[in-house]
Amino acid sequence: MSVENPLHEPTLERVAPPAVLVVFGASGDLTSRKLMPAIERLALRHLLPGGFSVVGVGRTPMGDDEFRERMRTLVSEGGGGGDEATHVWDSLAGGFRYVAGGYADADTYTRLRQVLAELDRERGTSGNRLYYLATPPAVFSDIVAALGESGLNRPDTDDGFVRIVIEKPYGHDEASAAALDATMHASFDESQVYRIDHYLGKETVQNVLALRFANAIFEPVWNRRYVDHVQITVTESLGVGHRGGFYETAGALRDIVQNHVMQVLALTLMEPPAAFDAHGIRDEKVKALRAVDVFGPEQVATEVVRAQYRRGWVQGEEVPGYREEEGVDPHSVTETYVAMRLHVDNWRWAGVPVYVRTGKRLPKRVTEVAMQFKEVPHLPFAASQTEGLGPDLLVLRIQPDEGITLRFGAKVPGQAFQVRSVSMDFFYGAAFLEETPEAYERLLLDALVGDPTLFIRADEVEQAWRICDPVLSAWEEGDAPLARYEAGTWGPAEADRLLEDDGRKWRKP
Amino acid sequence: MAEAVTDTSTIASWEGDDVTVTQIEAALTELRRNEQRAAVRTSVLTLVAVVSDRGQADAALDVVYHLGARHPSRTIVVVVDDDADASSGIDANASVHVVERQGTAICYENVVLRVSGPARHHLDSVVEPFTLPDLPVVLWMPSRLPATGDPLLAAADRLVVDSRAVPEGGDVLTRIVALSRRLYVTDLSWIRLAPWRTLLAGLFEGGLNRPFLSGVYEVQVAGNRGPRHLLGGWLMQSLNLHRDAVSLTPAEHVSIRLSAAIDGRRGEFVVERAGAERIIESCIDIDGGPCVRQTLRMRRQWPALSLAGALTRVGDDVTYRRALAGALELAGERPPSSVTAPAVS
Repeated sequence: MSVENPLHEPTLERVAPPAVLVVFGASGDLTSRKLMPAIERLALRHLLPGGFSVVGVGRTPMGDDEFRERMRTLVSEGGGGGDEATHVWDSLAGGFRYVAGGYADADTYTRLRQVLAELDRERGTSGNRLYYLATPPAVFSDIVAALGESGLNRPDTDDGFVRIVIEKPYGHDEASAAALDATMHASFDESQVYRIDHYLGKETVQNVLALRFANAIFEPVWNRRYVDHVQITVTESLGVGHRGGFYETAGALRDIVQNHVMQVLALTLMEPPAAFDAHGIRDEKVKALRAVDVFGPEQVATEVVRAQYRRGWVQGEEVPGYREEEGVDPHSVTETYVAMRLHVDNWRWAGVPVYVRTGKRLPKRVTEVAMQFKEVPHLPFAASQTEGLGPDLLVLRIQPDEGITLRFGAKVPGQAFQVRSVSMDFFYGAAFLEETPEAYERLLLDALVGDPTLFIRADEVEQAWRICDPVLSAWEEGDAPLARYEAGTWGPAEADRLLEDDGRKWRKP
Repeated sequence: MAEAVTDTSTIASWEGDDVTVTQIEAALTELRRNEQRAAVRTSVLTLVAVVSDRGQADAALDVVYHLGARHPSRTIVVVVDDDADASSGIDANASVHVVERQGTAICYENVVLRVSGPARHHLDSVVEPFTLPDLPVVLWMPSRLPATGDPLLAAADRLVVDSRAVPEGGDVLTRIVALSRRLYVTDLSWIRLAPWRTLLAGLFEGGLNRPFLSGVYEVQVAGNRGPRHLLGGWLMQSLNLHRDAVSLTPAEHVSIRLSAAIDGRRGEFVVERAGAERIIESCIDIDGGPCVRQTLRMRRQWPALSLAGALTRVGDDVTYRRALAGALELAGERPPSSVTAPAVS
């Protein structure tokens, strides 16, 4: 957009331009659970313009009114709705359309084009489109190619926009991601592509950047000179639920490590960007990912642990083992847990191991980054005086208790001189009890206003696969054993040994 | 926001008549020491409210209560006893409150000081001992404007006023301009207009509508005195319009109409509140294009919501200062001199 809006103030929230949101996979779970509630909340905050429209595309036959009512009902059942929302849905009434058809069927796109032209005429959406692929990944390529072939991939005017949002997983390995990119770039420029990872829409993930780059006290110690090692933990207490079929084709490495973990790792280890904008942030993230050592087959055996949960007890409930879950092969070797020891070859982090772990059916749901600092060069106290003293630690808690914990040594009050570790907790929610936007709400608005900062660029995806691909290949060749862990524990003994070999141990979050 | 805060409770309190500042400080420390939940405090500022009677003090505390923990702060409400014959004295009430939400508890403190006699002319000396170290001090005058020489201004980093609540004096905006030379000023009346400004700015998003911003030839703003001037002044300054292009009309509810023409096409951009309901209608009507209408329900303008918005601002609000300058011009008031940002040490 070449002309600035002089009425827009940086301190006020930005309103989306007139546009049509075209949701592929409109009858699916993601649309009703995430996208539509986000639209309702954006509308309640008056951040959607008059004329904003939604076109659902899906295989399920449905009329316009049925689509709108279904979405309205599902959002309400999910905790949205209420009196205030009545106006929202009434206002959107004329702007909800539905196109039923196959994703590879040219007729679907002919009818979509007609509907979009009608909306432009009737609701002033000016040819602006945001396509959202909320479908299973198997049809991503069909949709992208069909949008290109039907000419719906380019704006009709110089000042209009056409953008496409694509959900993870972005490919199932480096080659398939590259193939998807090739298909994508045959129809869309990279600047039109918004690869979404909802982790980046979380306030507390963004707060990692604020903590690092707005505070002079952290930067001087954020390097190999002071940091002993880094632990990144992304755990869930839930099992695979009804996603057994999907999970069998994915596993923890593809489902969590390749995207969420790599994004958190990049934000934690990246260099300070020159500017807080899309290029500045994403360039530095790519550089950080590029510095991560790629494993050879023999290293996968020593640096990576894969495991699968057995029956056990989680939060007071007995839960089935992975192989007993619905849709899972009783002989499955799909990993539900991964632990890795990564090495980052750059000036800042050389020699500092980055331990990463993710797993399902662990004792609790936690996402955090822990920086453990080196011990002081000389401890001037007797060993008996420091029995309760552990290494200094900075923990960035991303969920659920968002905040920061700093652990350091302090004297125990009393005549004797005893030093022990104390934790100082900062709860993000306690300093700012503001209602923060949900991740999808934030990211959907960013895509509508054309801010790609919190979306993933093609080279980031490529680098993340570059790290994960050798691990997948080694596993497929059957070289690495599959460990087992009891549901409700913190993972297999093999993962503990990964750190014990280095004289370290996993934190208990 | 106001409905949302139902989880605040008072966990300890103390009061004393004709006490010293030292006694009050000691009492505050004791309150926190005896209550484990008050041991950890997260604060982002000290809020000092100056009122003239107990009723206003209760109203201010009610706003702070509904503010909840959005901007956790120590709040000092100073009730100034205007009895000229009274001797110097301070009656005080201190209380510690906890807000609990989703398993997280945070504490904040309220101190009410009733100041009488000559001490009321030296409120800075009364307030300063209670301000939290290293955090900004926000002075909130709910219903009046301080004199530019008021010593309390020296103790504050920011002044929050409400130009609508100040008794009509004709020169309210001029006085705010004078105050804004001493320190940053936030006007709650301007904060309450934020949804209007967002809506109006939103009408010009998108490649079709935005070019009309350079072709605006007439602006009509209706509303109460103050808000209509600020909105008119904001539009005049932001769009570089001549004073004659902006017309203001007294009305109970706000409405804004911008008429524009570009490349031979005319467009009307309207945002208006039709009646007592919080229903806002917006409309974009461009020659040859669709007439795009939208109906929205405005969020209730709770006092706590406005104050929360005001406390979010920490620096110079350049847009407000420019709107104020425009408002003065539209109101026919003479600015004391050019409107400049306060010197910040």
